[in-house]
Amino acid sequence: MDDKKTKAGDWRSYQRVLLPPVKDLHKLDVYEKHEGYKALREVLTTDKWNPTSVTNEVKKSGLKGRGGAGFPTGLKWSFMPPVDPNIPRFLCCNGDESEPGTFKDRQLMEYNPHLVFEGMLIASYAMSIKTGYLYIRGEFADWITLMEEELEKAYAKGYVGKNIMGSGYSCDIVIHKGAGAYICGEESSLMSSLEGQRAYPRVKPPFPAQKGIWGYPTTINNVETLACAPLIINKGGEWFSKIGAPSHPGPVLYGISGHVNRPGVFEYPTGMLITDLINEVAGGMRGGKKLKALIPGGSSTPILRADMIEGVTMDADSLREAGSMMGTSGMLIMDEDVDIVSWLRRITHFYHHESCGQCTPCREGTGWLENIVTRLDEGQGQLRDLDILLDLCTQMEGRTVCALADAAAWPVRYTIDRFRSEFEAKCSTETVPSGGVLETA
Amino acid sequence: MPNITVDNETLEFDGRPRLLQLCLETGVDLPHFCYHPAMSAPANCRQCLVEVGTPQINRETGKPNLDENGQPIIQFMPKLQTSCSMDASDGMVVRTHKSSELVKRAQKDNLEFLLINHPLDCPICDQAGHCPLQNQTYKHGPEGSRFEFRKVSKPKQIDLGPRVVLDGERCINCTRCIRFTDEISESHQLTIIERGVRNYPMTPPGVEFDEPYSMNVIDICPVGALTSKDSRFRARTWEMSKTASISTVNARGSNCYYWVKDNKIVEITPRTNMDVNEYWLADEDRLDYRIFNDNRPLGPTISGADVNWDAAYKAVADCLKGAKGDRVQFLGSAFATVEDNYLLSKLATAVGASTPMYLTHTEAGRGDTWLRTDDRTPNSQGCERLGFQPANRSALRSLIQSGGLDVLYVLEDDPVASGLCSAEDLAGVKVVLHYYNSTNQTLPAADVAIPAATAVETVGTLVNDQGHAQRLRPAKSIAGVNRTLSMEIGKCRADRHGTPFDKWYDESNLINCQPGWVSIPRIASDLNIEMNYKGPRNIMAELSSANDAFAGATYEAMGEFGVRLSEIGVTA
Amino acid sequence: MGDFIKHPFVDMPDRNPEQVIPNDQLVFTSEEKKQIQTWVSHYPTADGAVMRALWLAQEKFSFLPPEVIKLVAAEIGIPYANAYGVATFYTQYFKEKKGKHVLDVCTCFSCQLCGGYDMLHYIENKLGVHKGETTKDGLFTIQEAECLGACGSAPMLQITNGPFVHNLNKDKVDALLDALREGKVPAFTSVTLPQDEDEMGGNRRTDVSSVESYIVPPISETVS
Ligand SMILES: Cc1cc2nc3c(=O)[nH]c(=O)nc-3n(C[C@H](O)[C@H](O)[C@H](O)COP(=O)(O)O)c2cc1C
Ligand code: SF4
Ligand code: SF4
Ligand code: FES
Ligand code: FES
Repeated sequence: MDDKKTKAGDWRSYQRVLLPPVKDLHKLDVYEKHEGYKALREVLTTDKWNPTSVTNEVKKSGLKGRGGAGFPTGLKWSFMPPVDPNIPRFLCCNGDESEPGTFKDRQLMEYNPHLVFEGMLIASYAMSIKTGYLYIRGEFADWITLMEEELEKAYAKGYVGKNIMGSGYSCDIVIHKGAGAYICGEESSLMSSLEGQRAYPRVKPPFPAQKGIWGYPTTINNVETLACAPLIINKGGEWFSKIGAPSHPGPVLYGISGHVNRPGVFEYPTGMLITDLINEVAGGMRGGKKLKALIPGGSSTPILRADMIEGVTMDADSLREAGSMMGTSGMLIMDEDVDIVSWLRRITHFYHHESCGQCTPCREGTGWLENIVTRLDEGQGQLRDLDILLDLCTQMEGRTVCALADAAAWPVRYTIDRFRSEFEAKCSTETVPSGGVLETA
Repeated sequence: MPNITVDNETLEFDGRPRLLQLCLETGVDLPHFCYHPAMSAPANCRQCLVEVGTPQINRETGKPNLDENGQPIIQFMPKLQTSCSMDASDGMVVRTHKSSELVKRAQKDNLEFLLINHPLDCPICDQAGHCPLQNQTYKHGPEGSRFEFRKVSKPKQIDLGPRVVLDGERCINCTRCIRFTDEISESHQLTIIERGVRNYPMTPPGVEFDEPYSMNVIDICPVGALTSKDSRFRARTWEMSKTASISTVNARGSNCYYWVKDNKIVEITPRTNMDVNEYWLADEDRLDYRIFNDNRPLGPTISGADVNWDAAYKAVADCLKGAKGDRVQFLGSAFATVEDNYLLSKLATAVGASTPMYLTHTEAGRGDTWLRTDDRTPNSQGCERLGFQPANRSALRSLIQSGGLDVLYVLEDDPVASGLCSAEDLAGVKVVLHYYNSTNQTLPAADVAIPAATAVETVGTLVNDQGHAQRLRPAKSIAGVNRTLSMEIGKCRADRHGTPFDKWYDESNLINCQPGWVSIPRIASDLNIEMNYKGPRNIMAELSSANDAFAGATYEAMGEFGVRLSEIGVTA
Repeated sequence: MGDFIKHPFVDMPDRNPEQVIPNDQLVFTSEEKKQIQTWVSHYPTADGAVMRALWLAQEKFSFLPPEVIKLVAAEIGIPYANAYGVATFYTQYFKEKKGKHVLDVCTCFSCQLCGGYDMLHYIENKLGVHKGETTKDGLFTIQEAECLGACGSAPMLQITNGPFVHNLNKDKVDALLDALREGKVPAFTSVTLPQDEDEMGGNRRTDVSSVESYIVPPISETVS
């Protein structure tokens, strides 16, 4: 296929902007030499910008959240209520990155930490926020240390803190270290965790913009989302909106893992053909094997069979049409040897393990899913199990406090839907009447 | 007035009530577990899901868009919403299980989930019979189970503290108990531990769940996960009848239910009264019921010898007949009702004695800023309002010891145990004693001893420390009295489900005692003193019109929740 | 995997455990207190600092017995029960004593498909203990971890909540265990972006000593 025709355009000559090829860009002095904190300076010190115009520029860019849900970022920012000087407001930058298959934010934080800080500051300014929390999962201890060192330097240089660059605008950044819980990536759970509570997600409405951390207006964005803000200010929303897929534009970090020759994190425009990503960017299938299936954006995005991806590009519209979602753009590539039932079993285990246990359908349903898939995987499943599984998915989806239950149900629903024969083939040949307790070995 | 439509019925409302609360208050029965009106709504049980629609508002006019019939177009939210966490708003349209298959299915599905790891040991569970989970499963739940795996086993029979026992497997993780200790009692002794399907409520290591209000979590637990160490396994709920009354352990008069089986009190639970105790009851109010059951007198005595009631009343009259008024001391009682104390004061006046005094019973440090008081009596305000003074103990003791008294008339109290004087001191004094328990230490010194009906056997009024006048209702019957006790209760009392089935017909455990408003008029009549009342209702009617301190405190006005009297000395 | 599913027993924590840290050691130094108070100042209410304070305590005492959780709660002025509820919610807080080195082997799906279970079982066999257990000499605890956010360099593991070890294979595990026995904890490793390799000829960071590339992942033998 002619590259020029894909939404990603001439991606082979794409120049990286989130992770431009600059040695030691993570160091403040290097970052400064490469337009570092220029966008922030312009926003804070020139008349061109005020909070509304920053938000509008982000709206114009068409930036959509990179944390999973793909919500338009500028629109999210504009949900913050009017400023009341007596009521604090907060920004949370979501660096929890725990969705299996996702490993891009860690690399962005390692290689371009100041871009994340600068993005946080610009977002804070746009929403008149004076404190931004950067929530990083506890497992990233080494990256937290790195971020803290660099943050300290940014403070020392007056990029963060009181009266930034003499503009009169002050904003603090606090790095919050998680301690091992996938659910903390969910925005309201992240808020509970920041507040020092058990990280139970909260029922919405009220939404964070109305009632966020400590009950105050709060906006939550993913690390990569916020890192786009300085680029948008520097080069304009319009420039941004022309990168990649028009309906879902911008640079994006693809984290490719699994059975490819060259896994890793790659920066390219949105709208890349999945086939290009696998065959060219990631060096093709390992050992010349055939592609069996893939998940396009983290464990909860519906699985796509090899025959479903022809012409499909990595953007919300195309993936929706193909029957999946963009998610976190963490792609897992599976070759023909993968036992899809065993694979699903591991996913159901993950969600069972990570359910916070607060609400009924998720606490009970995730375990039941794992139970059934385990028995199927061990060859003791019954055909009725498949129907029960699909039923349980219906019983969980959309009925819980947070979307973890949906995220747990979707892989089950879509994997059965798209690989039903493999599940049936693994069922026991002996029919066991229902009702009793079936012991799995 | 703003209104919402629930299953095609219109409900009006004020303010911003929670949808669930509004439904419950207006008789729409929505299943729910985690919601409690006094606490935050985490919406975690997911049982109260409903379909919610709101009128589509025209951006330009700000008014609802209308359909061809002139009705507002309703936009339903894509997902079911938890009614406990939704505020009602004008024009909202709600579909519950009565009109929505989706909601019906969601309720059933949710119950299926709740039950897969539930032990289903209802036959031995104290909550059975008044268990929301059991009731809702009967009403809305699935018929069988599709769960073919091992249930999660969790710790059982754990003493969380001295009074509360946990069964972790029955817990449905609604967090009501946790929220109670965090938001209401603020003892912070409980937390959910672990995560996911492993989680359950627990104290942190080394901590006992022993706060003075711990037993409230038993009432609010929607399943049998938290039970009372004291009353567990004692009686099934359908074997007991309940009576709405008030607690008499302290001066707050928290509203409660007395639970009776075989004419014995077996349990005391809170009764909601937003003016007094809201939804709560202190542990101490629940555990002192044994004084109603144990060590009760067998009948009236004269100098320790059993006599019949007529002989006892005559003996009291004889004591008073000869005595000079200024050598007779009446002691009213902060344990007794306003009615009985009032009659006592009338008797005192008629025999020329001074206004009765009463003994105070306070224990410094017992009280708190919530429902417990230093005052260990339920009616000292009632005594004060009748003009009774607290007895000056040393002066009264000297008077007794110096032979200044011929007759000491004690209404429902124990001067010896309370340290007023010793039994020996009373050797030269004629003592008339109305008493509750055979352990009363003044009993040996009593010339005439009249067994008195306790708070659970009488009809009367008590005034709490805040000036709230409330009615006592008989919870169990006594010997020798028409059991409807002055028409204050029906022939039989309802059990928890309103079924007129109780152990009232059981003739065992009937205590041979009398309320003051029976015994005092009998004594008066032996003295030819006029004291004609049909019953305590009339006594209060008279008192509330004659004495400003009781203005408004008629039985009709007090009803179930009592009336707040104006402050003493201030007329309404 | 699957253990709890087949044997779903939830144990009770010891409700009156013996104190492990003697009272004279059960204190924060004034420096630590200052650090904790700095964290407290970062949040509108002190509760926000509980996670950091628990981390500090865990680094100091190597795990979090109840008395330490209580100390943390007292230090920042929050109810002990809340701190305990938080500590038991998160998997990285060690509620009981672990080995000197805790090996968190990721077996989540990317790692699963690239030999995560092979590595887990290899380490289990090598050390003679199962996941969740600690070797007799107290040196190693093996744990099965959920996705650690390094799926491209699968299979991988994390050492005692610290450094990641990427692109595992048997030789690498052998060397790692030997080094750890000698008390040598591997340094932070920076994994080079493939595009950096192409455009910059290698890792962009000049300040790290240990560098690795994304490589062709191994073929997994077991998936559970
Ligand atoms: C179960 C669950 C886990 C999530 N984990 C993450 C995460 O690890 N990182 C993240 O950025 N967003 C995560 N999200 C999405 C966040 O809730 C939120 O939508 C996102 O941080 C918003 O940022 P964005 O608008 O910039 O994408 C998760 C959501 C759910 C439901
Ligand atoms: S859906 Fe699951 S993770 Fe989310 S709040 Fe409910 S129990 Fe917790
Ligand atoms: S013990 Fe009862 S009140 Fe407490 S969380 Fe469990 S079910 Fe709810
Ligand atoms: S009562 Fe609404 S979710 Fe529990
Ligand atoms: S699956 Fe192992 S690090 Fe993501």
